Amino acid sequence: MSLESAARALQSTAFSQTLQATPWVVPTLQTIHIVMIGVVFVSILMIALRVLGWVRTEQPFPHVWRRFAPFLWTGLAVMALTGLLLTLAEPVREVMALSFRIKMALLLVGIVSAMAFGRSVRAAARAEGAAAAERPFPLAVRVASVITVLLWLFIIFLGRAIAYDNSVWGSWSPAVLQRGAST
Amino acid sequence: MRTPPLFIHAIEHSAVGEWMRGNVLAMPFVEAAHVLCITLVFGTILVVDLRLLGLLDRGRPVTRVAREMLRVTWLAFAGAVLTGALYFSANATTYWFNTAFRYKMLAILAAGLNMAVFQLLTFRGVAAWDSALRTPRAARVAGLVSILLWVTVITLGRTIGFTKGYDFSVPAGVDFDFSGGGT
Repeated sequence: MSLESAARALQSTAFSQTLQATPWVVPTLQTIHIVMIGVVFVSILMIALRVLGWVRTEQPFPHVWRRFAPFLWTGLAVMALTGLLLTLAEPVREVMALSFRIKMALLLVGIVSAMAFGRSVRAAARAEGAAAAERPFPLAVRVASVITVLLWLFIIFLGRAIAYDNSVWGSWSPAVLQRGAST
Repeated sequence: MRTPPLFIHAIEHSAVGEWMRGNVLAMPFVEAAHVLCITLVFGTILVVDLRLLGLLDRGRPVTRVAREMLRVTWLAFAGAVLTGALYFSANATTYWFNTAFRYKMLAILAAGLNMAVFQLLTFRGVAAWDSALRTPRAARVAGLVSILLWVTVITLGRTIGFTKGYDFSVPAGVDFDFSGGGT
């Protein structure tokens, strides 16, 4: 079964039909999703800026991590849920967009690397105590934090680009235009 | 279709408006930048608001939290205004008559007013409660109102995309799964 026919099958399920038939569902889910981008991205940004030594330098790093990590994980969980529901509401639109496919792959990278980073922060804090937390981060970690911010920027861009898959990706886009020309 | 004021017509037919409509990549990039800016505004103000509410960062002076975050907030707000203006220029007439758009502008105005009142009245006496765990009632109200208004701004912004109808001549998206239209 091709991805497209799978998406079409999903779109014809009773659950998807119900979501599609309720006009406020998609905009409401999108709104929650966007509000959570604010929470998650700023949490990532603050952690990254602390790694770079630009903000909260008076606080030990594990402290900053503990301040923002709950927002990061809760926000991501809410985004996963709203994102899943949005995909169930419009499976063809999502699955048949190259932006969506790249976004899902990069999300996996982003989440796994954030988990690994959180784990190593906690391990370092345990092993070396408070003194280690005060030292500036090695160059590699600072570079990694910049790359992380750029990665999430790209993920946010891809989310909005799903609506414009043909314009953004041209002939690479697997998207099928569903209705007439307008935005 | 109703006739807009002359200046709206002029904006729509300005070189910028023509460029926005004529360039297939302009919309997705400007929209993504707009979403990014507005989530940064919300996310950074949220950090300040949560401190004003006395819920988080209680160990940090309010002035320090505010100074650190509001730099990013203003930068992002400027970006949101710029990208919003570009967006508006592409279809000025449609936005002008869109109810959700009008309410969104009002909500931004209200958020600005809330901030101004806080800055000019409550924040003047900040020295007395800068490091206090319990902030004055006026500060807590300002923080709560700020969160509610920015969520309203985001909600109305997303609503515009679903209520503006099919008047746009910019290239198509694939997400028209709902009666009013939508992007």
